[in-house]
Amino acid sequence: MPLAGTPSSVRSDPAARTVRVPTGRGARPGARAGARRAEYLAPYALVAPAVLVIVVLRLYPLVLGVNFSFTGDGELDGTAVGLDNYVTLFGDPLFLGALRNVGLLVLLLPVAVAIPGLLATFIHLRVPGHRLFRGVYFFPAVLSPVIVGAIFNLLLAFDGPVNAVLDTVDLGPVDWLGDPDVAIFAVVGVHVWATFGMALVVFLAGFSTLDPSLLDAARIDGAPLPRIIWHVIIPGLSRTIQFVVVTTMIGMLTSMFGLLYVMTSGGPGGATYLPEYYIWIQQGQMSRPALASAASTVLFLVMVVVGLLQISVLRRSGRAE
Amino acid sequence: MRTGRWLAAVPMAALALATVYPLVFTTNVALKTRHEYVLDRFSPADSPQVDNLATAWGSVGMARYLTNSLVVVTCAVALLLVLGSMAGFALGRLRFRGSRTLYLGCLAALFVPFQVVMVPLARTMAALGLIDTRPGLVLAYVAQFLPFTIFLMASYYAHIPVEIVDAARIDGNTLFGVYRRIMLPIGVPALISVGILNALFCWNDVLIALLLMPSAENRTLMVGVTSLRGQYSDDIPTFAAGVLIAAVPVLLVYLFFQRHIVQGVTAGSTKG
Repeated sequence: MPLAGTPSSVRSDPAARTVRVPTGRGARPGARAGARRAEYLAPYALVAPAVLVIVVLRLYPLVLGVNFSFTGDGELDGTAVGLDNYVTLFGDPLFLGALRNVGLLVLLLPVAVAIPGLLATFIHLRVPGHRLFRGVYFFPAVLSPVIVGAIFNLLLAFDGPVNAVLDTVDLGPVDWLGDPDVAIFAVVGVHVWATFGMALVVFLAGFSTLDPSLLDAARIDGAPLPRIIWHVIIPGLSRTIQFVVVTTMIGMLTSMFGLLYVMTSGGPGGATYLPEYYIWIQQGQMSRPALASAASTVLFLVMVVVGLLQISVLRRSGRAE
Repeated sequence: MRTGRWLAAVPMAALALATVYPLVFTTNVALKTRHEYVLDRFSPADSPQVDNLATAWGSVGMARYLTNSLVVVTCAVALLLVLGSMAGFALGRLRFRGSRTLYLGCLAALFVPFQVVMVPLARTMAALGLIDTRPGLVLAYVAQFLPFTIFLMASYYAHIPVEIVDAARIDGNTLFGVYRRIMLPIGVPALISVGILNALFCWNDVLIALLLMPSAENRTLMVGVTSLRGQYSDDIPTFAAGVLIAAVPVLLVYLFFQRHIVQGVTAGSTKG
C-alpha cells in the first residue's frame, strides 16, 4: 500500500500542500454530552510520551549545551568563563579549517543538487533503461556511511582501481586521501556518490506532480532540452528544488561523520575537518566538552539559518499557491 | 529527441556502472586469497572461496555486534512506531488546546541535529546511568528519529476523514480505543514505510553508538566495522569480507522493501 493511497490522496488534498495541520473538529470533547475529564485529557496522554522524550533528550540538551559552552573545561568545570571557549574556538586552525570546509560544501551544493536533478529529468523523459537506472542509482543511499567509507578506502587506495583507471589514460596516480588539497574533495565526492539517489527519488516524486501537458507542449514545439529545463521544469519544480537544496545542505552538515571517521580521521593535517568531526574529537578524544559545546552552538546557528531559510521558502511558495 | 535519449542513456549507463562497481570490486576482493590479491587485485577471483568471510565472521566478534545491532534497532523501531503513531494521530487528526504548539515543537526538534546536543546528551545519559547500556542507546535513537516519525505519521493521519473518528466515538470508543482499534490498523501502510526507514537510520548510525557505547563488547555492527581496518590492515581480503558481511543485511532490506523506502523518503518532500 503506497503512502499516498490513503482514502483522500496526498496530491488531491490541498491541505497536503501546506505545513498547516488540518484540524479535525469532530474530536472536540467539549461538544459532547458528558465530557468526562478522562476524555478531555486523552489527547494529552497520547502525545505525552513522545513530547517527554523530545523535550528531555532533544530540546533541553540544546539549552543545556548552550549554557555549557560558557563554562570551562577540566579544573574550570562548571565555572563561568564568559566567551573564552568561543575565543579559543575561533583561534583554533582546526575549527577554522572546518568552517572553511563548510564554505566549500556550500559552493559545491549546486553541483550536488544539479546532478540528481538532471538524472531525474532524463529518467522522467524515459531514457532507455530508466527503470533500471532508478533502482541502481538509489541503492548506495541505503548503505551506512561506514560501509561506503570502508569500500572507498579500498577504491581510492594509492594502488586501487580509481588510480588504475586514471593510469590507462596516462593520468595520476593521485593520493586521494593523503593529499591535503585533494582529500576533502574525495570525501565530498564519495558523499555525493552515496546520497544522490536520495535526491533523485525526491525529484522524481516532484516530476509526478508536474503537469505533463506542459512538457508535451514544449516537446511538440521542438524546444531543445536545455530550454525545456529552464522554462518548464525549473519553474514547475521550484518547491522540490528548494526542498532538495535544504535537505542536501543539512545532509552535508550532519551526516558525513561516518565517512570522515572511516576514510580520513579528519586528516591529512586536519584538512578534512567538519564541525561535527571537531565536536566529536573535542568531546571524545580531547576531553574538552565545554569547547565542544561551543562548537555545537556555532553549528546550531548555521542550522538555524538553514531552517529559517526553509520556513521562509515554504511561506513564499504557500502564498504562491 | 529520440537520438537525444540514447545519447543520454550512454553516460547514465556508465554512471550506473560506477554505482555498482565499488560493491562488485569489494565482493571480488573478499573472495580472493591474500596471495591472489597481492598479485592482481582486479581480476575475477580464481577460485572464489569463503575463508575470508569465515575469518571475518569468527575472529572479530561480528556475531556479537550483529546481536547488539539487532536488539537495539528492533526495540528502537518498535518504540518509535508506538510513540510516533500515538502522537501523530493526536497532533495530525485531533484539535485540542495546545496541539498546534506541541506539533511545532516537534517539528522544531527536526532542526536540532544530534551533533548539536551530543555533549549534554552524553552527560544526561551518564547521570541516568544509561551510558554503555542497550536501553540508553535505544532511548537515544528514539529521541533522534521521533520528530521525523511524528511528522510523517501526522501528515498521514491528517488525510483520514474525521467522520471515521466521530463514528467510532459515537459507537462508544474512548479516544484511546479509537487509536488502538482504528487508527493503528489504518496506519499500517505508513508504519511499514516509516518503520523500515527508521530501521535503516538506526542500523546505519555510527556517531550515536560510538558516543554512548564505549566498551568493545557493546559495539553495534557499524562501530564494529570501523574497528576492522585496524585489525586487518595487512589482510585486505578479510577486511573486505567483514565489510561485505555488514552490508548484506541492508542490501537484502533494499531488495525487498525498495518501494517502501522510496515512499518514506519522498513522503516528506511532497508535503514540504
